[in-house]
Amino acid sequence: MQMPSRNIPSMRRALRASALPLVLALVGGCGSTIGDPGGPSGGGTDGKTSTGTSTGTGTPTGAGGATGTTTGTGTGPGGATGTTTGTGTGTGTGGAAGTGPGTGTGGAGGATGGASGAGGTAGTGGTGGGPMLCPDQMVHAGRSPLRRLTRFEYNNTVRDLFGDTTLPANALPAEELGNGFGNDADTLSVSGLLAEQYFAVAEGIATRATTAPAFAQLDACTSSVTAATEDACATTIIQKLAPVVYRRALVTGEADALLALAKSTRASANGTFAIGISSVIQALLQSPDFLYRIEFGVPDPANASLKRPSGDEMATRLSYLFFGTMPDATLRAAAKTGELLTKQGVLAQATRMLDDARSHSVVRFFFDNLLPINSLTDLTRDKVLFPTFSPAIGAAMHEETQQFLEYEIFSGPGTWPSVLTAPYTFVNDALATYYGMTGVTGAMFRKVPLPDTTQRLGVLTQGGVMTGTVTTNQSNPVLRGSFIINKLMCRQISLPTDPVILDQVKIPADTSGKTARERFSKHSAQPVCNSCHQFMDPMGFALENFNPVGQYRTQENGVTIDASGSVPGATGAINGPVELARKLAETDEVHFCFASHWLNFAYGRKLGQGDECARASVEVAFQKSGYNVKQLLLALTQTDEFLYFPGSM
Amino acid sequence: MANFRLNRRTLLRGAGSIAIALPWLEAMGTEKHAYGAATPAQRFLAVYTPGGTVRAQYTPTGTETAPVLSPILKPLQPIMDLKKLVIIDGLDMKSAIGEQHQAGIIAWLSGTPQKGTAYSNGPSLDQVIATRLAAQKQRAKKSLEFAVRWATGKSKGLLSPMNVGNYEDNATFNPIPPRLDPAQIFTDLFGSLTPTPGGDAIIARKKSILDYVDKRYAALSSRLGATDRQKIDQHLTKIREIESGLVVPPPPTVTCKAPTKVDTADYNPRTGLNSSDNGSIKDLSTDTAIPKVGTFMMDMMVMAMACDMTAVGTFQWSDTEAKHTFPWLMLPEHHHFYQHDGGFKPVECEKICTWYSQMHLYLLQAMDKIDMGGHTLLDESVVMFGSEIQDPPTHVKTNMPFMLAGGGGGLLGGRWLKYASLPHNNLLVSILNLFGDTRQTFGDPKYCTGPLTNLV
Repeated sequence: MQMPSRNIPSMRRALRASALPLVLALVGGCGSTIGDPGGPSGGGTDGKTSTGTSTGTGTPTGAGGATGTTTGTGTGPGGATGTTTGTGTGTGTGGAAGTGPGTGTGGAGGATGGASGAGGTAGTGGTGGGPMLCPDQMVHAGRSPLRRLTRFEYNNTVRDLFGDTTLPANALPAEELGNGFGNDADTLSVSGLLAEQYFAVAEGIATRATTAPAFAQLDACTSSVTAATEDACATTIIQKLAPVVYRRALVTGEADALLALAKSTRASANGTFAIGISSVIQALLQSPDFLYRIEFGVPDPANASLKRPSGDEMATRLSYLFFGTMPDATLRAAAKTGELLTKQGVLAQATRMLDDARSHSVVRFFFDNLLPINSLTDLTRDKVLFPTFSPAIGAAMHEETQQFLEYEIFSGPGTWPSVLTAPYTFVNDALATYYGMTGVTGAMFRKVPLPDTTQRLGVLTQGGVMTGTVTTNQSNPVLRGSFIINKLMCRQISLPTDPVILDQVKIPADTSGKTARERFSKHSAQPVCNSCHQFMDPMGFALENFNPVGQYRTQENGVTIDASGSVPGATGAINGPVELARKLAETDEVHFCFASHWLNFAYGRKLGQGDECARASVEVAFQKSGYNVKQLLLALTQTDEFLYFPGSM
Repeated sequence: MANFRLNRRTLLRGAGSIAIALPWLEAMGTEKHAYGAATPAQRFLAVYTPGGTVRAQYTPTGTETAPVLSPILKPLQPIMDLKKLVIIDGLDMKSAIGEQHQAGIIAWLSGTPQKGTAYSNGPSLDQVIATRLAAQKQRAKKSLEFAVRWATGKSKGLLSPMNVGNYEDNATFNPIPPRLDPAQIFTDLFGSLTPTPGGDAIIARKKSILDYVDKRYAALSSRLGATDRQKIDQHLTKIREIESGLVVPPPPTVTCKAPTKVDTADYNPRTGLNSSDNGSIKDLSTDTAIPKVGTFMMDMMVMAMACDMTAVGTFQWSDTEAKHTFPWLMLPEHHHFYQHDGGFKPVECEKICTWYSQMHLYLLQAMDKIDMGGHTLLDESVVMFGSEIQDPPTHVKTNMPFMLAGGGGGLLGGRWLKYASLPHNNLLVSILNLFGDTRQTFGDPKYCTGPLTNLV
């Protein structure tokens, strides 16, 4: 959706076609979708990155077309027999990272040919040479499908509404995974069970809220209510509660309808005043106005041809994004003044909220879903192989990573590269002992420098990620590599579906190899496996200095571990976990992938076609800030997708 | 809790057609079945067990009408002797296209290929039957989906990777999450039926609340764009289902009484949320409780049907991942491990499949004990038994292990049927025919060549 606007601050020109998912058809059944390969948007001096990946051995014919006028450095690992629709000066070198002077729209490398010799299908080319995607002075609003509160958000909201800390929404059926954060609006569905549980959960909350002493919290009038004052008291509660629950002012007739409900249930057999109020609360909590984030928008005061979220709607957007709950009093006030109808006003509130510790719980929730650290608390491992590991250590590792991230992002340098390479961590006495650190006493977690930064550096090398990426008692470099490529680089390599091939990609039955590298080497030996595993395994091998429970080691079964490896799309070999961390920290693709996860989380869906401009503006801001995470979060609120609706009034 | 009893007349009101139809059928001289052939089946129950079977220990010998049961099916001999069981071999799940386990459970009842990496391309059979039966009579629940020890392994307590066999009979075929918590199921189904003072008023109040909520959804729907409206309308449909299911508890009868409540404190129905991809996280307490909980949940399913709270159910013994252990069978590894993760272990798999047969016997016998007025609950039902694959190590979906039990729609039991590689969609449409729906194809028509001819 593109609309002229005279009031939109200069929109960065986003010309990057590589934001479109790049589909590679690989030979031999290893299907792979490389989504969201990162690359900064065009404009200014930003370079272009066209990330294609090839499994082929054919002759590269280049990738990375370009149009444009500015100069930058684009790295484009071209596909073997790469194709590009771009025109310009870009060149790519097949199979390896190529450096080209091209800017503008980088052509996406296609892949044909493969190790098995059969021709594959060319990948989707970029749209180089086409019209500019995100010209300045245009509004690029994206889709905003109807969102529903997640269990996390529901729990937080009823805590703030009624002081109910029983986490009642945990009784609801789990969300569908969708975008990985359980808040994907495109995968919403309502089962009979969900509707029933909404009722049951609301009943519980309402009963607790209308029982002393909580009842008086609704309004003082409840403690001295008489037959003569019941209606007035009910009206007071409704006027106070309903607009907060609905996150908007009531419209004519709504309060009357709620009062009528209170009175009719009050009048039923064995009815009481509390039962009447309880019925109102149950009705409110099951209403779409509470469960869903309904947005109708208002005309943009600066340009009546544009539509943007109303003050209340924007307050709700911001609040669930940064606090994971309903708007607080400050946001509600800002909604009334019109402050939230401007980009600057939204930024001011976003800044305030990120400086408020309440935002930390959302960041925690985000990482609990992004990193494989959520089930560490329940992890059991072989007692003989790993005598010092226990679920309590797993829980401590989870806490280590979360406290580290909270400190690093909100009090430390706070960039994603610094998260990946920080020379310190957080431990308590038990975890310090587990890691072999000395001098830490007490159960409190505290910040400590890493004793040997040739062994550990950054979040990846913490016990939590290293333990959470391995699902058995045995080393599995494939799983670790696959975590990095899928979650940190956003290249989706999924399991093949062909049973014949799947049969070959099992954990090696031959366990005679002394090291994981020996045991898993068949992946690189067999072309059909190697077409995918060439991307995952080299990163997993570099992490082999950590055993399955995150302890540092130099040997496996008496053999010195060879921890050499490489990062796909990056030049140069690496050796060991620290070099891997450093290499990832200097790979733009990793940072844009991180931004991509935040975009999906913040906008409650999986971004794709039509979202290039939002993605571009966030990536540019993120890059300009030196990949500062807080700046990234603020940038999420400054896109046209966040600030405008598609369609005009 | 005290058992309550429904009065027989109330119960028969629900089964009215049966009471009338039986004499008529007898007059027609249809005597080959315990339950009339021309009377459509009244209830459908689908039972899912993961991981296929061990063919060599499963396939009967003997003839169509005198099958000799092999070790895995041997526990079901009493039902075969009653001529209320049909073993159906030679059907291929041709519509199961997609991820090897997921596509199997998706196609199992829907007869459609997997939609991308996601869900079904059509409604599941149980939901189509439920829609049909709900049009004839509104019950408290349009359908009930139960699952024991569900969403293990990679699905980690969630719907994805796809672990459900039930898909809405609407335009989007949304997956239906099963009910997992036995204590909660008991409260939902039987708790409110406990006679309490002012029970009528409680229901009236619930109706008032839902009435308000209903109006909010209806008012909102008209103001939304098509995509958002679909979500709100779907929610409204579900609220209306709850509303229509809010009925004053019928007085007690001999047939309908709440099952004995079982203490399930040692069973964590959401333990799947803590699972790991390969089942390395084990919950011994929950796994140990599976037989007890499974039995309790079968009791509740049977009684929900006996009390006419529902006419359609699905009962899943775990999910396609099946990454839980079997302590009571002395099997310390998880099912998927024995299927192929740890190399195919036929002896262990046979043990597991045989145990599922024992559980199935319990279910069918419980249904056959319920007198629905001259015939049993089993007699008026069609109970389908199946899995998502046939052979654990290869995942092949030819010659699937299907069974039908009951006598609904005139299903003729006591037999072992063998087909020559017909698509299983043929079975799905045949089951639909047993319920009086006369369509000739179900699921993806590419994989359906018409109803099986000899079920009745």
